[in-house]
Amino acid sequence: MDRAEKLGLAAALIGHAVLFGLLSVGFLATPDPQALQPTPIEVSLVEEVGLEAQAPASIEPPAPSIAPETGPPEDAAPPAPEAAPPEPAPEPEPAPPAPAPEPAPAARPAPKARPRPERPKPAERPPEKKAAERPAPKAPPKAAPKRDTPPAKKAPPKAAAAKGSGNDSASTKARPRGSRLGDDFLKGLSDTPSESKAVTPPSAARVDARALAGIRDAIRRQIQPCADKQVNPGPGANAIVTVLNLRLNRDGTLAGNPRQVRQTGVTGENERYAQRVTDLGIAAFRACSPLKLPAEYYSTANGGWSNINYNWQLR
Amino acid sequence: MEAFVNTDAATLSPLGLFMQADWVVKAVMLGLLAASIWTWALIVSFRAKISRARNAIDRFEGEYRRADDVDAFHRTHAESDLAIARVFTAGVAEWRRSTAGKVIDRDGTRERLATAMGAAVAAEIDRMSDRLNVLATVGSVAPFVGLFGTVWGIMRSFSAIAQAQNSSLAVVAPGIAEALFATAIGLFAAIPAVIAYNRFSHGINRIEARLMRFADGFHATLSRQLELG
Repeated sequence: MDRAEKLGLAAALIGHAVLFGLLSVGFLATPDPQALQPTPIEVSLVEEVGLEAQAPASIEPPAPSIAPETGPPEDAAPPAPEAAPPEPAPEPEPAPPAPAPEPAPAARPAPKARPRPERPKPAERPPEKKAAERPAPKAPPKAAPKRDTPPAKKAPPKAAAAKGSGNDSASTKARPRGSRLGDDFLKGLSDTPSESKAVTPPSAARVDARALAGIRDAIRRQIQPCADKQVNPGPGANAIVTVLNLRLNRDGTLAGNPRQVRQTGVTGENERYAQRVTDLGIAAFRACSPLKLPAEYYSTANGGWSNINYNWQLR
Repeated sequence: MEAFVNTDAATLSPLGLFMQADWVVKAVMLGLLAASIWTWALIVSFRAKISRARNAIDRFEGEYRRADDVDAFHRTHAESDLAIARVFTAGVAEWRRSTAGKVIDRDGTRERLATAMGAAVAAEIDRMSDRLNVLATVGSVAPFVGLFGTVWGIMRSFSAIAQAQNSSLAVVAPGIAEALFATAIGLFAAIPAVIAYNRFSHGINRIEARLMRFADGFHATLSRQLELG
């Protein structure tokens, strides 16, 4: 290794070190490769729209097994018993103020607390007077509710009837939250999600744009072998688009000869092939005729492949 | 400094790509890096050597043309280690040996002079083009070595994909980038090597041609001298 080579080696080492350093600090780095990724957009090509748009299948979850909480009645209830004790002294006073609807809940639990099993529920409306009169001598400690009842007569009692947590004993025992219903609320219902919102089966479906495009594609695929055999009659013939009306039986066979509905793309150059193109299309359908198509779309409320138009074009 | 050195594959950091690689790919990368350094060392030294030889030839030819006395000229350049001076010395030495005797074989002397100077030129060119073969080897082999590293790295990353059961681009890309880095280094070493090889072999050919021309000219001078003497 002579002097020139030593010099060269030093130069090469320095050059490589510099390049390495430049690359290491991101000299040639792609600026944020994540940002360069294009956001994919899904595109589906549909030639003709369906006769009626159909919303996508609903994927709503089944109804929850617990009723939603409608409000914080639980927080409002406890004040009732507290408000009750002072009430005994000024008997008619507490009636007009706001607490009027709230004391009412006391009406229902009150009978439960009493050792009288005869009439627990019906005590709501008519027997309120009776309940107020009778328990008076019998139940000294829980006397509070009976004095509440008179105001309950004035206030609409039905609003409060659902919430059963006014009383001290009842609220401390069960301590229910919100509007959760009793444990036996779901008795008789199964745990499986309700099927009331399930997708309607396609047999009863209406044909939608996607299904229609799928059917046309299926027809195209199935007559392709026969279409390929057709000889192109002349230049420009494959520019002619013939709309053929197909009448099909349920088993996919032709109920009759396909009928030409209209033709587009006919110019002065290729007009003499127009009839020939139609004939070729009819021949192709006859040759490949038992078409296998989804049975559920044979005939629906808004059409189906029992009677379908097909755009025939030579390739 | 450490904080600025990125080591993820997305930033094309050579260190990051190297650290993620398999040991086979690492070996390939290191070998190719050494080849690249050696290639550049040779490029620098060849450049210096060839331009020095060319300048020396220019200067020597000028002096030779201006010189009146070949013997005196030879005396000043006898110890020179320049290629052209060695060729000149070989010619003069052969001339002296051939004309030392009483009888001079003119044809034989001419032949010997041509052979001696031709041999000196060949020896000089030989010496000069030493290590040119390294450039040729690096130029032709480095891409293959890099390709080997890439194939190995891609095989490895494919097997990693198979194990991970996930073929998303984010999983595939780092392994492939790291594998392709081997080919990148291979090409990085090979391209300058090929260019340098062609350039320097052309330069050496030209030097050889000039040395041969000078030898022919000197041979003509000596041969004329033979006829006179």
